Amino acid sequence: MLSFDLHKRKVLTLFLLLLFAWSLFGVNWQEGVLHSSGIGTAAEIFAAMLTPDLSLDILRLAVESSWLTLAYATAGMSLALILALIIGVLASGVLASGKSSRTLMKGSFRGVLGFMRAIHELVWAWLFVASFGLSPYAAIFALAIPYGGILGRIFADMINDVPEEPILALKAAGASKLQCLFYGYLPSVKNSMISYTMYRYECAVRSSAIMSFVGLGGLGYQIQLSLDDLHYGEVWTFIYFLIILVILIDGWSNMLRKRMQL
Amino acid sequence: MSNENILEINQISKNYERKIALSSLSFVVEKGELIALIGPSGAGKTTLLNLLATILQPDSGEIIVDGKPITQYADQKKRAKKIGIIRQQFDLVGQLAVIHNVLAGRLADWGFFKSLFSLFIPQEKQVAIKALERVGLPDKQYERTSNLSGGEQQRVALARLLMQKPEIILADEPVASLDPARADDILDMLTKIAKEEHQTVIASLHSVEYARKYFTRLIALKNGELFFDLPADQVTDEQLQKLYQLKELN
Repeated sequence: MLSFDLHKRKVLTLFLLLLFAWSLFGVNWQEGVLHSSGIGTAAEIFAAMLTPDLSLDILRLAVESSWLTLAYATAGMSLALILALIIGVLASGVLASGKSSRTLMKGSFRGVLGFMRAIHELVWAWLFVASFGLSPYAAIFALAIPYGGILGRIFADMINDVPEEPILALKAAGASKLQCLFYGYLPSVKNSMISYTMYRYECAVRSSAIMSFVGLGGLGYQIQLSLDDLHYGEVWTFIYFLIILVILIDGWSNMLRKRMQL
Repeated sequence: MSNENILEINQISKNYERKIALSSLSFVVEKGELIALIGPSGAGKTTLLNLLATILQPDSGEIIVDGKPITQYADQKKRAKKIGIIRQQFDLVGQLAVIHNVLAGRLADWGFFKSLFSLFIPQEKQVAIKALERVGLPDKQYERTSNLSGGEQQRVALARLLMQKPEIILADEPVASLDPARADDILDMLTKIAKEEHQTVIASLHSVEYARKYFTRLIALKNGELFFDLPADQVTDEQLQKLYQLKELN
């Protein structure tokens, strides 16, 4: 049975390779792959990589918009963490008493989390900008909802993977469901929760930068403005600031992880 | 009142699918007895303990705890005052500090907010420290539990039982994953504490040697049936040999 499956898989691989080769004939190589000045522009952009604009005005603008990007990401993540803790614990079903109520609880709250993360933060941003206008709340909610959905889902899975023995022992010692949560489940998953939240925080900073393309201010918005003005040196200044932000958060998360292992 | 029956087991049977785990088993336990359950693997020792811990329900028969059927102890807070459990060392929450694992023995008596508050400022700390002193770990209260050795973790579990103070202690292979020196240590401590606190112990053990050394009564199970039930000093080597004999050798 297995060898047959493997064999079938090889046939499929060959078929897909042939399909790809055939599709190359469909491309018109003479025109349309790169637009006329495309290569030149790309070269200019990458040449500017080594000569970022370090004038005082641009640096000040970069610091300000980095701060804005970081502030949106931090506020959004904090809200996301609260949402994720509450909905994630409910979605794990450990607070339900019977088997049927557990299934119902797991199903409905996992559904809520699925809805939250099914819609991308950019789409949420558009929706909120349309309803709140260009206010910081739009950015924060747009981040908090999908990130809350992602974190909540992972938290629920982590709680469901906690080994059974210590929990049974707590129950035998007379602990209620809520006491089991705070003495068994949460301490067991605390470290993985923190690590994962830090990783997601890093992602949130990048999302927050990109979201500002919608017009919310921040690094992404500045990158867009400079690109429109063909000031590639400025573009790279902002990109370097974004990279520094991500590296700083990564360093912080490493420090936290090391301290947790003590 | 010293001859009070703390536990009565009447004709209990338990089957898994078609396999018989226990067939109409009956015995009576008096308060303060130290009982070792022995017998070959698959004899039904763990099944019996799980029935007593209400993790499983018997197919027929009844279990009477302190004069009341065990089904009346549905409230786990009340049950925890009667029956406590200690297993192998995987029973503790590794990420918690030792003191919180010990204080978890008080969760049956504590309300939710007190137990939550205790995670930040340990409540009834002096009692917990005394319990840790009794098991010989006075200076490890704030250590992370998973950093302790297997023997030390089992002592923490004993300290938790000291906080819980159940009338009956069920011990399922409490020393299965410990080396002989640690195992001696833990069994010595368990039986000593039980005597001091007038608790009843029912422990399943692989080692007959430990069973004879630390317990007053041996109950031997074989194929889900009672093989013998004797005071520890009346068990003969011949009986033990028969108990562990494989079928092929007959």
